[in-house]
Amino acid sequence: MSTRGRVIGLGQAAAGDDQVGLAVIEHLRSLGAPECLELLLAPEPSALLSLLETPAPVVLVDAVLATPAGEVLVLEPDELEQRGLSTMSTHGVGVSQAVALARLLSPSGVSPSIRIVGVSISRPERFQRGLSPEVAAAVPRAAEQVLRAVSSHDPGAFPCMSPR
Amino acid sequence: MKKNEPRTLEVDYLTRVEGEASLTVRLEGDRATDVRLAIFEPPRFFEALLRGRSYLEAPDITSRICGICPVAYLTSACLAMEDALGVTVEGPLRALRRLLYCGEWIESHGLHVFLLHAPDFLGYPDALSMAKQHGEWVQRGLRIKKAGNSLVALMGGRAIHPINVRVGGFYRAPTRAELESLLPELRWGHDATGESLEWMARFPFPELERDYEFVSLRHPDEYPIAGGRVVSSEGLDIDVRDWDAHFVEEQVPYTNALHARRVGRGAYLCGPLARFNLNFDRLHPSVREAARRAGLSVPCRNPFRALLVRLVEMLQAFTEAIRLIEAYEAPTVPHVDTPSRAATGYGASEAPRGLLYHRYTLDADGTIQDARIVPPTSQNQRSIEDDLRVLAPQLASRAHAEATRLAEQAIRNHDPCISCATHFLTLKVERT
Repeated sequence: MSTRGRVIGLGQAAAGDDQVGLAVIEHLRSLGAPECLELLLAPEPSALLSLLETPAPVVLVDAVLATPAGEVLVLEPDELEQRGLSTMSTHGVGVSQAVALARLLSPSGVSPSIRIVGVSISRPERFQRGLSPEVAAAVPRAAEQVLRAVSSHDPGAFPCMSPR
Repeated sequence: MKKNEPRTLEVDYLTRVEGEASLTVRLEGDRATDVRLAIFEPPRFFEALLRGRSYLEAPDITSRICGICPVAYLTSACLAMEDALGVTVEGPLRALRRLLYCGEWIESHGLHVFLLHAPDFLGYPDALSMAKQHGEWVQRGLRIKKAGNSLVALMGGRAIHPINVRVGGFYRAPTRAELESLLPELRWGHDATGESLEWMARFPFPELERDYEFVSLRHPDEYPIAGGRVVSSEGLDIDVRDWDAHFVEEQVPYTNALHARRVGRGAYLCGPLARFNLNFDRLHPSVREAARRAGLSVPCRNPFRALLVRLVEMLQAFTEAIRLIEAYEAPTVPHVDTPSRAATGYGASEAPRGLLYHRYTLDADGTIQDARIVPPTSQNQRSIEDDLRVLAPQLASRAHAEATRLAEQAIRNHDPCISCATHFLTLKVERT
């Protein structure tokens, strides 16, 4: 089983700011993400159920409905509901529920460290190409938080992660 | 509260692709005096985006409309473009396209049946609660869904937004060995789906009989996925090219999505229930028998039983996928040539939720001048609203929580591509 840190971007391409999770993954690729990081995409949260099965740390990157737009939030999965935050979900299985379901069904197989890096977006009035300026500006900061979240799990486990 | 007091059921939910949708049902006694399903859908935007783009880009652009049904958009777009260009995709390439679509049916129906719809019948608020008591069935459902994902990932080049599909076929055809590697899991999925159908056939199904006009594709030999004519239970039998003469979309004031209706008739239903009723004789004999054992027969007019029909379609998809792989011979070329020309093309395929119609007009260079996309969810909106009107006496006789749960379940019968987050219903009572 892979021990590479797993970063999973959620979102819909061509759905305006909802695709910010995918944009962060693209940004990490353009930076030349360390080889110890596995960069993945998921179209909707139910796809996470198998992707969360890894002994390595996992960071989920998704749009979060919150104001002001363009803020970067680092959260534990449980905090989404506790703080009344909503990631956008295509098919009724939200991110926090997908994590809880994965932990219930495969308690020993799911990553012991799952964090969410959320980028706040406004409720979409209509879909557009690309990201709004404030959300686009948050992408590098979100990528930075992803790298911090992975390396903070166990700095010694990821020697390829250079300090930033 | 008293049964005859007017009250309003309000449903509000958030979605990733289609934006927000809400449901309002105003009840006065046993009647629903107002039913509004308000959906925001993005295809209008995509139609504008497509203008000025190359015909080769349409499949990839439209496949991003939906994270659940990219193959449906890829296929309808390819069929419409090939129709415009006078190209026919046959033999192994057509079989590969069908095989890819089987994967999408399995994963989309699997997600809906096991994670979204089954909890309603068992009285659970969500899949997580259901998994605490029925973990083995949820596990089974997820593994079934994963078998579909694997098929899409292999054929499409990746699981999210498949990139291996193009007008005229594929960029690369899989080898026989690659496809055969999927057979063990597909055979397991077939059997597990059959067992799931037997289990869910014992669920309590609310009583509701609806006089739908069913609309689906119909093919001379196959259960409909791609290709064939557009037929209905009221005698419609047309070429896909004639769609615009028989169906119209209209703006209604309370929703951003257009409402479709049959010209001269009104609401109709597409999707699993329509396909099943219009094409029962096209199912594999073993699948027909499994459907009968599950208590399904034609006509099936209870939308709550669509849960079982989806499992029947998954069984059909597994059966077909196994057959197609066992008979597979790699094509000599991964795609046929598609030289551009000025023309209009029409294409339709059966997305998991129902018929997905595409029409494109190209200039001589193959640049898209005009595009039209009619997704199944907009076609079914009126019928979903009508279901709730017919269900009104049952809603009126129930307490708040029970009525809202039943309304939610009735919406989910049709798996609209705006599936609902848990606890999305609130009940507001208006007293006059």
